[in-house]
Amino acid sequence: MIRFFIGLFLRATVVLAGTALATFALLWHAPGDPALAVALARYRAVVPDAVIDQIRAEAGFDTGFWTAFVHWLAPMLRGDFGQSAVTGRDVGPDLLTALSYTTPLALLGLLIGLAISIPLALVATKRPGQWMDRISVALASIGAAIPSYWLGLLLILLFAVQLGWLPAMGARTAAHIILPALTLGLGVAASLTRILRSGLLEARGQAFLPAFHRRGVGAHAVERDHIAPHAAIPVITVFGLELAFLLEGAVMVEVIFARPGLGTFLVGAIEARDFPKVQAVVIVAATLFVTVNLLIDLLYRVLDPRIGERNA
Amino acid sequence: MLNVDRISVRRGKALVLRDISLSLEPRRTLAVVGESGAGKSTLIAAILGLVPCARGHVTWSGAPLGSARPSLVMQEPRSAFNPQLSLRRSVLEPCVAQGLAPDTRRLERLCDGLELTSDLLDRRPFEVSIGQVQRIGILRALIAAPPLVLFDEPLSALDAVRQKHTARLIADLQAEEGFAALVVTHDLGYAAAYADDIAVLRAGKIEEIGAAKAFVAAPQTAYGRTLRDAAFALGALERVA
Amino acid sequence: MTLTVRGLSATRSGRTILHRTDIIIEPGERVGLVGASGSGKSTFGHALVDDLRARGRSVAHVPQSPSEALDPLRSLRFHWREAEQALNLAPDTSRQHALFGALGIDGGDLRKRPWGWSRGMQQRFVIAMALLGTPELLVMDEPTSALDPVIAAATMDLLDTYLADRKTALLLITHDLGLAARRVSRLAVMDAGRLVENAATHRILLNPQSQAARALCAHRNWLQLPC
Repeated sequence: MIRFFIGLFLRATVVLAGTALATFALLWHAPGDPALAVALARYRAVVPDAVIDQIRAEAGFDTGFWTAFVHWLAPMLRGDFGQSAVTGRDVGPDLLTALSYTTPLALLGLLIGLAISIPLALVATKRPGQWMDRISVALASIGAAIPSYWLGLLLILLFAVQLGWLPAMGARTAAHIILPALTLGLGVAASLTRILRSGLLEARGQAFLPAFHRRGVGAHAVERDHIAPHAAIPVITVFGLELAFLLEGAVMVEVIFARPGLGTFLVGAIEARDFPKVQAVVIVAATLFVTVNLLIDLLYRVLDPRIGERNA
Repeated sequence: MLNVDRISVRRGKALVLRDISLSLEPRRTLAVVGESGAGKSTLIAAILGLVPCARGHVTWSGAPLGSARPSLVMQEPRSAFNPQLSLRRSVLEPCVAQGLAPDTRRLERLCDGLELTSDLLDRRPFEVSIGQVQRIGILRALIAAPPLVLFDEPLSALDAVRQKHTARLIADLQAEEGFAALVVTHDLGYAAAYADDIAVLRAGKIEEIGAAKAFVAAPQTAYGRTLRDAAFALGALERVA
Repeated sequence: MTLTVRGLSATRSGRTILHRTDIIIEPGERVGLVGASGSGKSTFGHALVDDLRARGRSVAHVPQSPSEALDPLRSLRFHWREAEQALNLAPDTSRQHALFGALGIDGGDLRKRPWGWSRGMQQRFVIAMALLGTPELLVMDEPTSALDPVIAAATMDLLDTYLADRKTALLLITHDLGLAARRVSRLAVMDAGRLVENAATHRILLNPQSQAARALCAHRNWLQLPC
């Protein structure tokens, strides 16, 4: 048991260290002189060599790869993401502000996705192959096929332009979150419906279920105690992937709705070649991703101990 | 002949087999009976060298056991076959491994005896019933006319009538070709009817070993008697006055 | 009360695997359902249990394999409580200990999930659940196949006394006429989804009429031994 936890933790650490190394290596080996790139971004003009040398020394680019890597990583472990290469401001507080906009959006999107997909999958799998099931499959396929930028524009056209019910751009009021969250949530609902549906179908087809009915266990209790836990396992598996989808979707949706947040932060940083900001986003996203997947592995262990035993 | 000389097998700290000695001559059948966990399957694995022996050794007429090219009928029939291959390819594998040309006449004869149709062999393991897979496992073990065959619960997935047909076929073929057979089974009726000798295994040790008929008539140990009486109680053996 | 079932049938993917069948079982009677594998015995058992349950009769069923009876994600204690609740029984540890003791599984850890127990212990746990209430009929599908012979014999003996005490009827489904001959007073013989013979055990053993019954009788035991 303890070996299992240590193993999980070690794996998570290795993944994070690998991400950090890859991020840094990309920057290190990027075509052109990173210091020159920083200088160009900061001053938007040709600068004397002395300034470039100064930037190089500032960022530790003049030492060897590993020294520079340690020099780069150490402050991040303390939560210090350094200064913006462009404005010279600390990256940390700006990133926090961006996250404070993106987190509610992602959570609301996830909530909308669950609120749509769970009832839809439950109704669909009551009678597999019948019309409700087919409609849900069709809806899920269409939902997965529509790109969020197009769906976002359609929603803006309908609710903001035609009906005028909801604001479209920015984040001034609480109502501003509705359209972006809906865009995100519909995409989440599409993929979750498909996974829930197949998980439920498999759970309902288990060989031991008739025995529970014959023992006189009520249909509701069988559904709750013997179908739901089995259906939950594949759903939890993809939840980690769903998180990646949420982050990616949030970036896209924020840009469409001109909403401040991680997406706008990242796109702005890339446009300005503001490397410290880009790195900060990558590292934060990777940490989040690894942490959630670590929690999922632990949850597995609680739900179905056989999974842990096979791994250990 | 097969010679098992004082072998012991360790799993972790525990001894799962202790000082097992037995010998088995061509044309003879030895049945190993006992409860689950007594070490019956471990004994087969140890004889074949699939698990290392802490002590003792296994020989075939003084030479290493490999010289007998022993074949094995495994307990879990479906997992004994490569799911990717057609059953025919798996069945002919022993011939291929020994560089023999597949003997189609023998194959047909064995198929007939085991009540298998030829088209079954063109399917894959999960496309036939468990009973069919088990009989195809027996077919594979016998196809290359081995001098020693180890059977691990060979009839467990068959119904009562088929069990008896299949046991008859194995016995007829043995009388003709003279292979030595070691059969692990929990079915004392089968052991009493077809084995020359019976070894009772309990907690990794041989409780008693002797002629099958004598064992059924009068087991030497209390545990042997319990086993025999259970076989009567389950109708696997019938007492007639 | 006599259990009467008429017109039982079953189809699977458009194919009839059980043709219209009638059966009558008297209270406390022990009936064997015998036949080759694939003759439709298990299907008959399921159809019988479901039909009787739907008509409000109390029936218990023990499937062939414990994996068809237990949820691998739930502890055995959960299964036990659930079975008690389904029968509207209050939790009773003395009844539980008595059953487990009689079946030789009182040493098992109920906090474990089914796969933490051996197959033989799981099977006996399922039998214990079936014996919780006082059903009119107990249907057992190859109850001895997952058990070691010594335990199987002891379990069958235990069932004999249990059933006699409660006037519970038994339908023993098995491919093994040798087992059925020792345990039941009447035999129903199945062949290709039909009930082809239905008579007292000794009559079928002495004078089997159908081809299926003749085959079963001819292969009844491995050996007959003078003892």
